[in-house]
Amino acid sequence: MRTQTLGQSRGLVFVFSVVGGLLLAFILVPLLRMYATQTPATLMQIAAIEDVQSAIWLSLEAAFLTALLAGALGVPLAYLLARTTFPGKGVVEAVVDLPLAIPHTVVGIALLFVFGRTGIIGGPVNAVTGFQFWGTWGGIVIAMLFVSVTYTVNAARVGFESVDARLERVARTLGAGPWSVFGRVTLPLAWRGIVTGLMLTYARSISEFGAVIILTYYPMTAPVKIYDLFLQSGLDESSAMAVLFLTASLAVFIILRHLSYGRVTPGGRRM
Amino acid sequence: MSDSTLTVERVSLRIGTFALQDISFSLAPGQVYGILGPSGAGKSVLLETIAGFYWPDHGRILIEGRDVTRAAPEARRVGFMFQDYALFPHLTVAQNVKFGLQFRRSRPRPTEHSQVQDLLARLGLEQIAERHPSNLSGGEKQRVALARALAMEPAFFLFDEPLSALDARTRDSLREELRTLLRELGVPAIYVTHDQTEALVLADRLAVIRDGVLLQEGTPSEVFGAPVDEFVARFVGVETIIAGRVLCTHDGVATVQVTPERRIEAVDHGAVRSPSVLVCIRPEDVALNRPPAKDSAGANQFPGRVVGGEPLGPMLKVKLDCGFPLTAFVTKRTYLDLKLAPGAEVVAHIEAAAVHLIGQP
Repeated sequence: MRTQTLGQSRGLVFVFSVVGGLLLAFILVPLLRMYATQTPATLMQIAAIEDVQSAIWLSLEAAFLTALLAGALGVPLAYLLARTTFPGKGVVEAVVDLPLAIPHTVVGIALLFVFGRTGIIGGPVNAVTGFQFWGTWGGIVIAMLFVSVTYTVNAARVGFESVDARLERVARTLGAGPWSVFGRVTLPLAWRGIVTGLMLTYARSISEFGAVIILTYYPMTAPVKIYDLFLQSGLDESSAMAVLFLTASLAVFIILRHLSYGRVTPGGRRM
Repeated sequence: MSDSTLTVERVSLRIGTFALQDISFSLAPGQVYGILGPSGAGKSVLLETIAGFYWPDHGRILIEGRDVTRAAPEARRVGFMFQDYALFPHLTVAQNVKFGLQFRRSRPRPTEHSQVQDLLARLGLEQIAERHPSNLSGGEKQRVALARALAMEPAFFLFDEPLSALDARTRDSLREELRTLLRELGVPAIYVTHDQTEALVLADRLAVIRDGVLLQEGTPSEVFGAPVDEFVARFVGVETIIAGRVLCTHDGVATVQVTPERRIEAVDHGAVRSPSVLVCIRPEDVALNRPPAKDSAGANQFPGRVVGGEPLGPMLKVKLDCGFPLTAFVTKRTYLDLKLAPGAEVVAHIEAAAVHLIGQP
């Protein structure tokens, strides 16, 4: 592998590699240390607890559902941001980025006002359909969506921007209407960007704790359950569940990533 | 109604600070129509307006007699050929060609496959039908784009500088191939370019536009031989443009005083009304000889001196001082035979019929 191109100094590359290596170590060491301290006996014991299993499943499922919802709601906005100009576009962009800047406990509290028992949507929806956002997966997905949909919109937007607008135009001249062009040209070509966004949304959703715990303490997602174990039983048991959850979510993430990027890429090659 | 393939009728359009102004022309069946102009002249906007991506503020666009001024692009049957051809990168050659077929409601599905095969065969693409565009040569891309557009049986093609991003050699060979293909297919086309050679090689008829205004329209020999103003003259390759004054006209030959000592004779077609004119001489119409002049009594013999020269592809461009500046194209053979290094004495000769006059207000 070439580590250096002409014009870069050896010294600079060396120093930056050392700094970069330290950063990687900073990320990996705590995780590896947590894995290293586990004993098979504790892991088996924790894995056998029904609450632990259901919390992990709930997290995986709710994050998956969130990603789908983020795709359905985020892709149209991403397309508009990539392809059109309109007054107030800067404001719209700022609103899309807003969730990243809000503390997640604040998100949870704000969502309570809308989706809670007496919330302006939560109340009426409950009265009409009987569905409640509190105490169900509904609240979990709402909380996850709020904190993670930004990633889908922004990455899908980059995906759409990377599609040559002439391809859409040529498709129009070939007889395709606007919806056909979107479905047959734009969407397939922006696919990688959209999938990247969905992956980030999925990953962010699975890790969400603050907004979820305020909106919906029960049923417990894995991060909530890990916190619960930490308070009730201590570090050994909570770290065992943490390892189980981390392993499960990484596995799902890798499988999804492989499935999605395994499609034919614009170059005609299979990844 | 009219039997032309496309009629653009007094089309005006404003986009931001740019405007197309009162553009009119028509494309006859089987014709290749060149639109020549510098970058920013509005050539692409004009094509995109014809294709339906912009709606004109004024004027009409008729395709085969049908008013399509407000029709969607997909309803116009216009084969748009973009620069680099804009093939769908996620589809194979065969899928690219098939793309336009699937939106034709009138056609039964079972014939789609054989139509694709026909088109692939017609343009010699069978061998590469399963390849993706990223693995194609420039010539292959060009043929795929033509096949893809032909699938929806276009009324005509629009070419938006398809060759301008290519290197000179590829461009020459693709231009030749395109000319042959256009003749074979018999589908009329509008071809936009800033390259006068491309326009000359490909077009049956030409328009020159600048700043959204159509300056001149005619056959290539009309536009190249008799430009209407100085801009068009320079743009179509006239190198020598000198201001002068018409002294008299005898038997259709005007005598123009260009300097106190020099007079140039020009065949006058009666188009010039004012005494004040611009004398236009194309560099390829200037013949150089060694002094003394073969026929010193003949008209338009100008003794002069070489002041500079530069190689220009297969030809050399020689700049002369004949009392007025004059530019000539010569072959390398002539350059060596006449020893045309700067300082050399020569006699330049120009046929009166090759001198074009532009009337000045």
